[in-house]
Amino acid sequence: MHNRTKLYLSLKKLPRGKGCVMFILLAFIIILSGWSYINNTIETGAYNFVYPANFGNRIQIPADNPTTKQGVYLGRMLFYETKLSANNTLSCSSCHEQRKAFTDGRAFSPGVDHVLTSRNSMSLVNLLWGRKFFWDGRATGLEEQASTPLTNPHEMGQSLEASAKKLSQTPAYPALFKLVYGDEDINGNRITKAIAQFERTLISANSRYDQYLRKAYQLTADELKGMELFNNAPQPDKGIRGANCAHCHGGVKTYMELFHNNGLDSIPKDAGIGALTGLAADRGRFKVPTLRNITLTAPYMHDGRFKTLDEVVDHYSEHIQESASLSAFLRGESNEPGGQSLKLLPREKKQIIAFLNMLTDSAFINNPDFTDPHLLTTKTKQH
Amino acid sequence: MKKQFLIACITLLSFTAIPFISQAQTAEKQAIIKVSGEVSTPLTIDAAFLQKFTQTTVTRKDRDGKDHTYSGVILSEILKNAGVTLGPELKGENLTKYLLVEAGDGYQVIFALAELDKSFTDRTIILADQVDGKPLAPGDGPYRIIVQDEKKPARCIKQVTAMQVHFVK
Ligand code: HEC
Ligand code: HEC
Repeated sequence: MHNRTKLYLSLKKLPRGKGCVMFILLAFIIILSGWSYINNTIETGAYNFVYPANFGNRIQIPADNPTTKQGVYLGRMLFYETKLSANNTLSCSSCHEQRKAFTDGRAFSPGVDHVLTSRNSMSLVNLLWGRKFFWDGRATGLEEQASTPLTNPHEMGQSLEASAKKLSQTPAYPALFKLVYGDEDINGNRITKAIAQFERTLISANSRYDQYLRKAYQLTADELKGMELFNNAPQPDKGIRGANCAHCHGGVKTYMELFHNNGLDSIPKDAGIGALTGLAADRGRFKVPTLRNITLTAPYMHDGRFKTLDEVVDHYSEHIQESASLSAFLRGESNEPGGQSLKLLPREKKQIIAFLNMLTDSAFINNPDFTDPHLLTTKTKQH
Repeated sequence: MKKQFLIACITLLSFTAIPFISQAQTAEKQAIIKVSGEVSTPLTIDAAFLQKFTQTTVTRKDRDGKDHTYSGVILSEILKNAGVTLGPELKGENLTKYLLVEAGDGYQVIFALAELDKSFTDRTIILADQVDGKPLAPGDGPYRIIVQDEKKPARCIKQVTAMQVHFVK
């Protein structure tokens, strides 16, 4: 209704003439279509997060950015919006594709200037529980995090002001921002808030591992053995074989928000958290990433150095590199008495990978709520 | 002639630059602990700061099954220095306060303030910087919480980087 009154008012201010009539007609169509589109399809109201009780309620939602259904929808539009990049070619989804559990399959990803990112794109999953983001944990909230890829010249490369201006001139957005924030003002703060709202909804909780935990799936013999190896620390004197992965990657979410040096290099090229703190103990220390959907998120590690899970497991079993900052959890852990490395058997490596395969959540990567909403609108328009 | 002069200049320059470069590599920062939250004086703890307090020792078994003697400063003494409500002030709603301790790897544990207070318990909890008379190993230190007599070592948190006092919400 408001749109119509406004249109009437602007009619009076405009100069008369043929071009003007065309302009008014066009504006009318755009505004009306935007208005009816929004009124027809967008649900509004508080967003209700659904997740298993065993994930716990230590969720992170800032008081000044409550999650609403309309906010999540706007965030989803923005996540897939190429206008947020300097040359209108990249969106968040360019480096975070749903079918790859929101990674991009590349070791490093090209930005608008074709320069590669310095680190591997990260899976976006169960961020609702996250407190520190990026490989070095330098961003303390999703709102703060989002402004980095938007403005980084080697990623989307556009100031938040320029993005706000472009969106103001794009049909549907002014009305959408009004629906979410109460008025049509578009600014950087509102853009990052909406994106963060959408990201919080990216919950994966239906892998075969989740099903097993809620007693809806029976493990195969290899999966069971793999899970035991994953969870146990090796104790050769007691005859217990293990790989101790859960010490860092454990818990029902396979993510504990820890930061360690997992022995990739003695002298790391990228110092990780060490570059931020200057502390010797932090050299080569990186986020212990989630293992959810791990079969879909190759290549692995902060620099994408491993192409397969076989290479990853070989690393932990035989190739841990010694350094002063190597995690104590990886030091002197062995399945052989007095051994210096895990020394897993070939069969055990396969079993661990069988367990890792259980962490794939196909409901998550096919969830229609996470797909590109721009495709949806063009689809409905064509019909 | 010109070329030789240029080479000489570059060599000379690189010699003078070497000390700076190597200095940049060795100028390693020292670990500190930030104390914040429900405190009247936020603190930054370093080695010199800890020396100002009485040193206390606590003996406990480590994962190797052997007794080790840790020395450091009683945690509540440090917190009192920051103006945390301990001693006579630890009553009423102040009993709903806790200390959150964070390690360099992001690991976190909490203690209720009453667990740290001498008028509630004789169990000693220290911020240790030495074990058996030597500085803690790099993977454990430079600062580690040692909880006397606690059966599991899980709260003997290593590589402590931050301590915050909060009210439960
Ligand atoms: C050019 C590729 C690229 C684009 C475009 C991109 N990202 Fe990323 N993303 C990355 C890389 C690389 C990292 C890891 C960077 C680091 O650690 O320094 C990352 C990390 C993240 C993380 C941290 C995840 C975690 O678990 O810590 C989030 C969240 C994220 N991106 C969201 C976004 C959003 C939202 C957008 C769009 C506004 C976006 N990304 C656009 C490549 C990209
Ligand atoms: C000391 C803690 C620690 C232990 C124990 C550990 N990891 Fe990791 N893991 C890490 C860290 C840290 C990274 C990221 C390192 C980097 O990129 O620099 C990582 C990365 C990975 C990755 C790549 C994830 C990605 O998205 O790129 C996989 C897969 C993985 N670990 C599997 C395992 C398995 C399997 C085990 C047991 C054999 C294990 N980890 C044991 C800390 C650990």
